[in-house]
Amino acid sequence: MTHDTERRLRRLPSDLIKFAVVLLFLFPFYWMLITSFKTYTEAIRFPPSLWPQHFNMTSYVTLLEKMNVLRYMKNTLIVTLSCIAMEMVVLVPAAYAFAKYEFAGKSLMFSLVLVAFMIPTQVTFITVYIMMARARLLKTLLPQIIPFGANAFGIFLLRQAFMQIPEEIVESARLDNASESKIMLQVMLPMCKSTIVTIALFSFVSHWNNYFWPLVMTNSEAVQPLTIAMDKLKDVEVGIDWPLIMAGNIVLVAPILIVFIFASRKIISAFAYRGIK
Amino acid sequence: MAEIKFVDVGKSFGDNKIIEHMNLTIKDGSFTVLVGPSGCGKTTLLRMIAGIGPASSGQILLDGEDITDKAPGKRGVAMVFQNYAIYPTMTVRENIEFGLKNNHVPKEERSRLISEVALSVGLSELLDRKPSTLSGGQRQRIALARAMVKKPKVFLMDEPLSNLDAKLRVAMRTELIELYKKLQTTFVYVTHDQIEAMSMADDIVLLDHGKIQQEDAPEKIYYDPDNVFTAQFIGTPPMNIFSFGAHENRMGFRSERVTLSYQANKQAFFERKGSIITREMLGSETQYQIKIPEGSLMVKSLNEKFQVGETVYIQLQEEHLYFFDKEGLRIRDKKEIAECNAELEASHEA
Repeated sequence: MTHDTERRLRRLPSDLIKFAVVLLFLFPFYWMLITSFKTYTEAIRFPPSLWPQHFNMTSYVTLLEKMNVLRYMKNTLIVTLSCIAMEMVVLVPAAYAFAKYEFAGKSLMFSLVLVAFMIPTQVTFITVYIMMARARLLKTLLPQIIPFGANAFGIFLLRQAFMQIPEEIVESARLDNASESKIMLQVMLPMCKSTIVTIALFSFVSHWNNYFWPLVMTNSEAVQPLTIAMDKLKDVEVGIDWPLIMAGNIVLVAPILIVFIFASRKIISAFAYRGIK
Repeated sequence: MAEIKFVDVGKSFGDNKIIEHMNLTIKDGSFTVLVGPSGCGKTTLLRMIAGIGPASSGQILLDGEDITDKAPGKRGVAMVFQNYAIYPTMTVRENIEFGLKNNHVPKEERSRLISEVALSVGLSELLDRKPSTLSGGQRQRIALARAMVKKPKVFLMDEPLSNLDAKLRVAMRTELIELYKKLQTTFVYVTHDQIEAMSMADDIVLLDHGKIQQEDAPEKIYYDPDNVFTAQFIGTPPMNIFSFGAHENRMGFRSERVTLSYQANKQAFFERKGSIITREMLGSETQYQIKIPEGSLMVKSLNEKFQVGETVYIQLQEEHLYFFDKEGLRIRDKKEIAECNAELEASHEA
């Protein structure tokens, strides 16, 4: 036996385990995808088939005919992007201040951020709902956006990243006559690009997939997001149309997958600091 | 061109007083080195000039103008940091350009200045590279170029060579001296390395515990120390110091001034018999540790023939002896020196 094959054999058990884990994670996606192309009868047949007899797009067509998918998609997009934009506007200066300034009440304020991070939305939604109702905003997208303006987790994560930047770089920029906003945006922020991408991505996924919040915040069809729409696909009296639901889920999940594939490298490096020695 | 003046400056971090009542003038156009052990306040002084670590009390004047509360970027000073503090996401050119842009220098002027300065530090070929692809020495040059391009009134350097390897450090030392000669601007240089201080400075300010121990030219600092601290901080090995007599005065001498001999010498002003404890061959010279009745001392000698365990005489001339009082301050009065000599002789005979 050569040295090489021996090494390969020794690695085999661990490779098998990794393969099994990958399968475990990928299989639901695979199942979702092929089910969306099956006919209704094939989808409920037992034993189930691992590959559709023939691909048919009926579910996707029905989906587009049955509901205004584009409107729901637009609502989700507006809500998600506005949330991310608002969060960035708030969290970057907040993280910079927490990381690089000394001011009275700093640790108290930072503990408040951490507390906010720990309170579940289920605790606050009734009060927020009442506020939004009194402000007559329930028929708009705002109740889905405004409460997420401050992202406590993002502030925390970016503060940690800013703190790893040596003080000398900030001082050096001050000696270069840079204003504080310039230091923050042109010196510090580019150094934490990976962290920003990570925060934006986490935020994207959580707002895109948010079901509970829009469910309680609005009854108006015009401002409901994609997640609520997908739930409505179940309201069929004859039985659950699995291919249709899976087609809807593909539409819901595809953007997240695409974004994740593009950002994955940045995310990995966000958790491994690389500076100049 | 600029003169820097500290007037009764103090600095404390919480209850910890680093510097108190500091008065110091750094001469216009001088290469002044602030040197001392770690925690002596040298970097604190430098940061006060830069404006990135403001003084707790007192005034700092630059060319007679009070800059104590002026923003760092408006002072006309440039600083080179120990870890270079280069902006890692910018190219070499952008690094050098950043300060100029912030000072609203027009575009053509900027590119002219950048190519000029890049040429003088040898970065012309590397202007579009990212710092992470460059070596330590090249990064050091970026930091230098970034400082030079602003044409500052004062250059501040905080241990700029300590991250470089030994060979590069010596080369950069020479380059910095040349740069200084060319620019003829005030340089304030912080180091804990006395060799750097000795070889580069016009003026050395030796600090300990936030107090100036001595401020002088390198030769004066070495040959005419004001106190025991200076005598022992400057010089490798440090000056040999022994206390003697009832007044607890101290005497000292430089290790290279000692003559070693197997024979006693009646001509010698100061002579002791001792035995060699260690011997280190350093190449051009040999360093011996020798035990005499007063204690142990270091001798640097061109003569490598003495061996460990041998009995030798150490001999010194009168002009190479230094005397210090109980507090460690130099005794310069002729009459007092004569008394010291007599007491030293008496203590030996007893």
